[in-house]
Amino acid sequence: MVKFEACPDCDVLLNPISAESGSKVSCPRCGYTLERPRQQSLERTLLLSITGLILFLPANLLPMLGIQIFGNRHEGSLWSGVFALINQDMWAVALLVLLSSVILPIVNMSLAFLVSFHLYFDKPNRYLSFWLRWFQHLNEWAMLEVFALSIIVACVKLSSLADLHFGFGLYAFTALLLVNAMLANELDERLFWRLIARQVDP
Amino acid sequence: MTTKRPLKTALNQGFIRCHDCGEVIKIKAAQHQSCRICHAKLNARKPESLQRTTALVISSFCLYIPANIFPIMLVTELGRGEPHTIIGGIYALIKSDMIPIALLVLIASILVPLLKLVGLSILIFCVYYQWQVNARLLTIMYRVVAFVGRWSMLDIFMISILIALVDIRGVAQVIAGPAATAFAAVVVLTMLAAKFFDPRLIWDHQHYHE
Repeated sequence: MVKFEACPDCDVLLNPISAESGSKVSCPRCGYTLERPRQQSLERTLLLSITGLILFLPANLLPMLGIQIFGNRHEGSLWSGVFALINQDMWAVALLVLLSSVILPIVNMSLAFLVSFHLYFDKPNRYLSFWLRWFQHLNEWAMLEVFALSIIVACVKLSSLADLHFGFGLYAFTALLLVNAMLANELDERLFWRLIARQVDP
Repeated sequence: MTTKRPLKTALNQGFIRCHDCGEVIKIKAAQHQSCRICHAKLNARKPESLQRTTALVISSFCLYIPANIFPIMLVTELGRGEPHTIIGGIYALIKSDMIPIALLVLIASILVPLLKLVGLSILIFCVYYQWQVNARLLTIMYRVVAFVGRWSMLDIFMISILIALVDIRGVAQVIAGPAATAFAAVVVLTMLAAKFFDPRLIWDHQHYHE
């Protein structure tokens, strides 16, 4: 049977695509990047997701920002925004902040770890495609980099009002942010799907 | 027009591309079935794409109004409370000479949601009335709309940080206002609207001439 591929954005039917790593193939009709292979995508994804999962602990538990207004010191971690919102009865917003800054980044990192771990050690698992699908769907809802930008804006707003201190949690968070960005760059979804398809029908 | 001759699409050649894993499958074999690789439901186009997107865009338009007129936070300093709307917050930043940050907040919380809503509306009209357009350009617009959506969360995160840090009763306190919920809803609904929209619908009704 002849295999085809189709562009996800404009549905044009194409012959199978292959690209050298470092180059990329775009859709002739709409310009969508169809394939952009990475070197050692699997290994790098596995290692970066392990690093990320370790970094979640200090980034979540240690205080990130300290503030001093008229002698009163106050410290906040990644979670304190969520608690403050709950205290003010803003349940919906609290839930959204909790999901997009804490839970979904952890879930996504874990899914990336599970998928790359099983593929790297060539362990078949019937949930592999389930995990990768959820990874793709949840990816845009994990918003660590947006949170980082809002920390900067909040610091600028507060800098005229009070003295700010940066806790170790902030450094861990910054490292986590970098790892997360590298992971998003190294994870080659098409390679992962090809490997999963090979498990389904060898 | 970027393309001169009609190109073969998966749909008009009798194929379906799986939304999740990209596997291309013959329609006859795929009827009412899930993908054999990833078990996602197979549809040639995202199901009820236009209806869902339209409903979400209309809801977001409605919520965009309270998000901008009601205060997004109340800042209390030494007993004097002062409500801040989104625009008020930007104005305060300009007044304290923080133009780049003011610009950033302006882009993230006013321009991005508004342009997203306008962009999605254009896409809906274009598909519904089968306008002949530069489909490549509109597809690029769709990608931009889908990409920038999450950055509007900037304001919501910033409020959560401010209310957590500035919390000394009687001296200085920040309280989240009713607009915060409305604005958060706008961000979520427009993100969902972009997710449900199927860019292939833009291409489906384009006629090409030799």
